[in-house]
Amino acid sequence: MFDVNEFILKKAKELGFGDVVVLSHEMNRRQIRFANNEITVAKNWHERKVELFVELEKRVAGTTITELSEENIERTLKTLLSNMKGMSPKEDYYGIAEGPFQYRDIPETFDKAIVELDELGEYVERAINAALEEGAKRVAGVLYTDHNRLYLTTSNGVEAFDEGTGIEISVRAFIGDLESGHGTNSVRVLKKFDPESAGRKAGEIASLARNPEQGPEGKFDVIFDPLAFANLLSYMSFMTSAYAAEAGFSFLVNKLNQKVASELVTIKDIGNLPNGYGSRKFDDEGVPTRETTIIENGTFKTFLLNTSLAKKYGTETTANAGLIMPRAWNILLEPGDYTREELFEEVKRGIYITNVWYTRFQNYVAGDFSTIPRDGIFLVENGELRPIRNIRVSDNFQRILEGIKALGKESHHIHWWEVRTPVSTPYVLVKDVGITRATI
Amino acid sequence: MHDLVEFAVEKALELGASYAEARFEEKTGTSIAMKNGVPEGLSILADKGIGIRVLVDGGMGFASTNVLTKESISEAVKKAVKLARAASKVRNEPIVFSEEDFHRVSYKVKMKKDFRDFSPEEKLELLRKVEEEVKATGVNVPMRYLSYSDQLWKKVFLNSEGAYVKSKIPRVSITYNLVVFENGQMEQAPFVQRAFSGGLELIEKDEPWSWAVKDVLALKKLIYEGQKPPEGRVDLVISPEVVGIAVHESVGHPYEADRIFGREAAQAGESFVKPDMLGERIGSEAVTVIEDPTIPNSWGFYLYDDEGVKARPRYLIKDGIITEFLTNREYAAKLGQRSNASARAINYNREPIVRMANTYLAPGDYSFEELIEDIKLGVYMVSFNEWNIDDRRYQQRYIGREAYLIENGEIKHPVRRPILEITTRALWSSVDAVGKEVEFFPGTCGKGEPGQGVPVWMGGAHARLRNIPLRRP
Repeated sequence: MFDVNEFILKKAKELGFGDVVVLSHEMNRRQIRFANNEITVAKNWHERKVELFVELEKRVAGTTITELSEENIERTLKTLLSNMKGMSPKEDYYGIAEGPFQYRDIPETFDKAIVELDELGEYVERAINAALEEGAKRVAGVLYTDHNRLYLTTSNGVEAFDEGTGIEISVRAFIGDLESGHGTNSVRVLKKFDPESAGRKAGEIASLARNPEQGPEGKFDVIFDPLAFANLLSYMSFMTSAYAAEAGFSFLVNKLNQKVASELVTIKDIGNLPNGYGSRKFDDEGVPTRETTIIENGTFKTFLLNTSLAKKYGTETTANAGLIMPRAWNILLEPGDYTREELFEEVKRGIYITNVWYTRFQNYVAGDFSTIPRDGIFLVENGELRPIRNIRVSDNFQRILEGIKALGKESHHIHWWEVRTPVSTPYVLVKDVGITRATI
Repeated sequence: MHDLVEFAVEKALELGASYAEARFEEKTGTSIAMKNGVPEGLSILADKGIGIRVLVDGGMGFASTNVLTKESISEAVKKAVKLARAASKVRNEPIVFSEEDFHRVSYKVKMKKDFRDFSPEEKLELLRKVEEEVKATGVNVPMRYLSYSDQLWKKVFLNSEGAYVKSKIPRVSITYNLVVFENGQMEQAPFVQRAFSGGLELIEKDEPWSWAVKDVLALKKLIYEGQKPPEGRVDLVISPEVVGIAVHESVGHPYEADRIFGREAAQAGESFVKPDMLGERIGSEAVTVIEDPTIPNSWGFYLYDDEGVKARPRYLIKDGIITEFLTNREYAAKLGQRSNASARAINYNREPIVRMANTYLAPGDYSFEELIEDIKLGVYMVSFNEWNIDDRRYQQRYIGREAYLIENGEIKHPVRRPILEITTRALWSSVDAVGKEVEFFPGTCGKGEPGQGVPVWMGGAHARLRNIPLRRP
């Protein structure tokens, strides 16, 4: 689609636009949804679209073009121009990156075998059967395959191409109304795909969770399963965007170079993570993606930036454009040195939370939030697990990070409906987590 | 566009589908944001495409494309049919749709002030007005994120059973996040939205700047005068805004038939409600909850759903009794009923699934004064920030943003973050009186995978809850 990109760029320059970014997508996505051990719907999406960003004397505008005829492209550009002429400038706009750049292939982000895969039902059946073998009665979930091509052309000398694939599954297993478990598996190359592991984990947790009792409230040491902690880190990823901080949606406001977490905590964004579900060769302005340390040994080091925001703050881009709003690619919490068993041994009396959902904030800048454990929840007492139900984590983001006292040594890459930004995280032990519940 | 949707349906039938539908959607519009007084730029929306859904051998397939040629649509139809056929092999029983009466209709929502006639700069003026009015209060509001959005939704729906529905619905909204810093303390009104189906005149009449001013003044007062809320068993009066979120989360969602039957189990969850609970008491006699897509100019407005079924008000709870679930054709058939037109899709590239539209607590006959006059000790919760509910829609919590102490029948000083954490049954059983006036608040309801955030209104009249456990942070 570079011919389309070049046509758009040429016409945009002719009309007098300054910075121009043309990002074209060709997307093929397949989905199988299942519930009650059967397929509820199978879907296919085929889309071609051009995301266009233009600047005219510090006035900025963006649109997506899906009808790619020359007439429509010219009409769209003229519409943008006429709309922008009377507009007030974005005074804090400082331009896009100067290309060209060199790009390196990211290992394990493209696999022809996924593109050529024909029959997907077999993977679904394998996941369902694995969960049933562990004792589940009802299994629900979703399987996706992805094939994306990206073509980027900018007015600052960038011409870049990336092609990626992915396959992922999310499985939730149920026994009764109150006993459930969840497992996921998200990879970019077929040979690493393991739908059984997701099904097995979901089934195992559901089986362990049989006959749960009402959970307690108070302060508890909590072991977060990677699935659960990924949810919190995924929400946090948005808060690491400089845009979120300026707009009043981040507890990291005014905390650069301050301690915001336990010494054990190092959190990175890795745009070029091999086999990472969010990995891409370049950001939306063409800067090669890379590893950025956001929190290092507990100290907050940087917000995620694009070129314009970086210039505003007198620093360098972190290759996270989003031209208006920088965003994370793959968030990674560095693992620690505990085996899973050692982590559970650390807890004399605490709670193991396997999954959470519905994380919502009372106050974004303060970081006060609650989130609801779902699927298996367990009281941990001297190495024994006792299933419980109906509790809520009610705490503060920064306090959770400060309260981390041990990290598992294995990292798990999580991406599903509730974890939109992919997260790699180990098991995490946090001390004195606030737990509440409804009393009537 | 009629030709292309007709072509898609005919093609699907030719390829062996027992049922086929095609939905063309086009969305056009603008959005503008302003951050701390600086315009963030303009975003122009121009999106269109076709989605095709078919049943083959009792399996369901869906495909969409935004390349609007016969070749591309034909390709999408083939994929949908192939996927449906493959899906039918991993099913215990075939999917069957309920019998419905279909119509050939066309409808639209009129705009008195058509937003297409106004420039982005004129729309930006609406956000400037919010800025100016907030500034004029003298309250320190260092973080201000404002956004304006308008969209014209055009749809053409056609199915193989004779439905043809053409609609045009404009939608317009303003959203703000305001962070108040006073006296070394900070309070926040995040993601507050005012939203309607119709033209710019609705925003002008609603005056979102007045809502913003009310919010920052309330937050300032909370900072200077806020005290701890009472703890333990007290009475609680919740405003139409808080009532709205509660009916949406704990009545609307658990009554969605696809959730009741487990189709959403892996994502939005299941439901504590079971099919045999129709007719069961879930709340006091004061509680009637209605779901109505047909409210003029509402954010969740539609007259025909995305399966071509005519919409009507639905009584989810009547006088405390569960009376109706929200259904689409698939789950209406399972229940042996007709669909009540709850199938909605957010765009051409999404399947229609069971959704809410405008959910509200029906009015009672109490004035606001009557609701509070005999409360010895209680709280009036006007607005909320944090809220959530478990995935069976039973254990929920709502934390007040603006809230006041009620003492001996009078509204007193503000209280900080009163927490209502309660089960659905306890919540609706505790209501002993409902106010006379109904108000609505907009929201985006999330469900489905990939996610489908649909516009909804939530609201109702004030409700009084007796003797419920209120908590503090």
